[in-house]
Amino acid sequence: MANGTDGNRKISATRFAVIDTELTGLDGKRDAIISVGAVRMTGGRIEISESFYRLVNPEKELKAPGVVIHEITSEDLLQKPGIDEVMAEFQGFFGADVIVGYCVEIDMEFLNREMKRIFGASIQNPVIDIYPLYEWARSRSFYEERTTSMPGRAKLYDIARYYDIAVNGAHNSLVDAFITAQIFQRLIPGLTAAGITDVGELIRLSNRLKGGDRQGISSGISNF
Amino acid sequence: MIVEDFIDFLKGVPPFQFLTEESLKRLSSSVSMEFYPKGTMILRQDGPPSDFLRVVKKGGVKVFISTEDGEDMVIDYRSEGDSFGLLSLVGGDKSRANVLAIEDTICYVIEKDTIMQLVDMSPAFTEYFLKSFLSKYIDKTYKEMHNKSLLYGGGDKLLFTTPVGEVATKEVVTAPQDITIKEAADIMSRKRCSSLVLTDADGVPTGIFTDRDIRDKVLSKGRNPQEKVSSVMSVSLIRIEARDYCFEALLKMIRFSIHHLLVVDGGRLKGILTNHDLMMMQGTSPISVAREIEGQQTIDGLAPVAGKINRIVGLLLKEGARASNIARIITEINDRLLRRILEIAEKQLGPPPVDYCWIIFGSEGRKEQTFKTDQDNAIIFADPASDEEEKRITEYFAAFAALVRDSLAKCGFPLCPADYMASNPQWRQPLKVWKRYFSNWIYTPTPDAVLKSLIFFDFRAVHGNFALAESLRDSLHAMLDGQMIFLGYMANTIIKNVPPVGFFKSLIVEKSGEHKDEMNIKVKGVAPFVDMMRLFSLEKGLRETSTLERIEALKSRHTIVKEYADELEHAFEFIMLLRMQHQFEQIELGLEPDNFINPNSLSNLEKKTIKEAFNLIAKMQGIIMERYKPLIW
Repeated sequence: MANGTDGNRKISATRFAVIDTELTGLDGKRDAIISVGAVRMTGGRIEISESFYRLVNPEKELKAPGVVIHEITSEDLLQKPGIDEVMAEFQGFFGADVIVGYCVEIDMEFLNREMKRIFGASIQNPVIDIYPLYEWARSRSFYEERTTSMPGRAKLYDIARYYDIAVNGAHNSLVDAFITAQIFQRLIPGLTAAGITDVGELIRLSNRLKGGDRQGISSGISNF
Repeated sequence: MIVEDFIDFLKGVPPFQFLTEESLKRLSSSVSMEFYPKGTMILRQDGPPSDFLRVVKKGGVKVFISTEDGEDMVIDYRSEGDSFGLLSLVGGDKSRANVLAIEDTICYVIEKDTIMQLVDMSPAFTEYFLKSFLSKYIDKTYKEMHNKSLLYGGGDKLLFTTPVGEVATKEVVTAPQDITIKEAADIMSRKRCSSLVLTDADGVPTGIFTDRDIRDKVLSKGRNPQEKVSSVMSVSLIRIEARDYCFEALLKMIRFSIHHLLVVDGGRLKGILTNHDLMMMQGTSPISVAREIEGQQTIDGLAPVAGKINRIVGLLLKEGARASNIARIITEINDRLLRRILEIAEKQLGPPPVDYCWIIFGSEGRKEQTFKTDQDNAIIFADPASDEEEKRITEYFAAFAALVRDSLAKCGFPLCPADYMASNPQWRQPLKVWKRYFSNWIYTPTPDAVLKSLIFFDFRAVHGNFALAESLRDSLHAMLDGQMIFLGYMANTIIKNVPPVGFFKSLIVEKSGEHKDEMNIKVKGVAPFVDMMRLFSLEKGLRETSTLERIEALKSRHTIVKEYADELEHAFEFIMLLRMQHQFEQIELGLEPDNFINPNSLSNLEKKTIKEAFNLIAKMQGIIMERYKPLIW
């Protein structure tokens, strides 16, 4: 049975695969996955020794902006295994874990496209997006006295900086997955304090608040 | 990349920086990262042991201990690069201290097994932890705790503060290495030791053979006991300095997976330390001490065991045991100790020429001693058949009593200042002389005679032929029957001891002198109860000697006690406990225990309770006065 199907499982006892992908662009039809990175978490604990990082050999030339950000050139990638091989390995890594990411829908879109193409089925694991969870925490923080306010419409690194998580140095999908994991780690105590201790509730909260919709957030709050 | 960050971080942090690249890689294979919001209690004192070593990556924690009186005592603050949880991880029993995140804190969390491998493999790593943790614990925990909370203690503290030399078995049994397994086992059985050190022709230790070896290397392997012991002995002799702390010994045992360490002092073999010794010390339990007493073959072996009795009282007080239970346990242990001494003396001097009974009296006779009390003992021996035999008997018991007196002194029991000891010829006599003593005191109750009877009539047999003591008690009760005059003397001494409560219900204290503003809890608090219950028991011919047992027995036989039994029990328990606590505090401070309590040091509840106890004494005195009216002067 998949990990996530047991909604009563405590967050603290749940295995998560915190993922990130690097893409040649955001066009779901034409762009491709350059790299896949992931870190395992058990509850709030980041299992540093259990990480996953693969560069993918794409069939297309890299677009210029991605090259700048990620310092990856086509030359590097041509030496690497193809997407089919990487996806198989990646599936082995996340197994039945609950998948966690930042604005994870776009990652899932690309991953599922490949999964369907290779294995004929998309990923069935429950998925949690930390962006709406962050927005949820931010909306609650309005009622608290804080020295610095949580930034709105925040990008991953803005959130990371708010939490004092190191974001300097080279970035790739593994480092970003690690940053995402650390943000998730920071969010868990607040969620626990609000009574969200089962992973099922966490998944529901993430789904309901998807997209950072203000209405959704306020209706979410009234439930807790 | 994440792993590399971790390794880079550790490279800047002692003691991890002493590790090889390979060890660091191994560490990173079982590491995770946790986040604790400010205010999280990461480890809890006396809670489950830590299964991880945590290294602070960011933030800071406070390591502190909650003392008995509810105060928190900070041991240390740990910040970036510092670690915590090692002691409870190695100890494996429970957490030693509270660890609280005082900021949002991120820790690298390394699994126990990985750390234990490092402890085994990397001496520099272990050494660092030993030095940094232990010195902090010893300096802070011990000294501050010692001053702050007297009753705090127990095994943990001992582990960090007791030098190996203090708990190690002093007597090392050695044998030449060319003996057989059978011969080695015989020696160990005869000497009752769990290990045998084998030496070469020059007397240099070459190996050790232990109980465990007999089990694991001989019996279970079906080896022939006629083989040379050198073929199965362990040749790795691990040494420890006598002045090292026991915790270091424990770590060595864990590291080398052995149960015996050779204790050396200045390069010379001083003793042997077993994990049993450490367990005994850590779990200073009454049972372990009692067992330890049974196992001793010499007075020198008994003396250090006897030293643990005060620690037991401390532990029991800390656990909130009732005074009567503490006294019972201590009595049991002291009785065993005394019996063991007597057995050793009998072995040393040969069997006694005639039956005898060793009796103890005073608080020991009443089973009410707490901390080492003076020796109060005597010998009753069977009436000799002839003068010639009497001379032989007298000589034997003279030597015997002197040996026992000195042995008890070695074990920490001071001599009786009034010389009420069997070493005094007056108090080692045949049964018929004892009966004469008692009848003289009863029929001619001089002040001195009454004083002696107060002490001696609480006698109790501990060793030898108990029938002698029983016969003496039978005579005592027969003599007392109808002796109202003697009982009247006893009643008078009771009534003369007026409770120290003033007109306005204030507690009366000494007005001057060494104990100004204090009161003698033994004379004013304990003695009245003891004396009254003794009087009632002698009236009724009861054989009990302990005050609480006397109350219990009198309940159904004595109208006064029947009415006040519960109050009497509670008041007596309370006063005993007060006295024990007072004396234990003094011992902890390195003072001679005394009986002087300053009422101002008592809590309001204690003051109220002690006044109630004094009121009860006054009430009982009134009743006694009424009963013995014609005899009171």
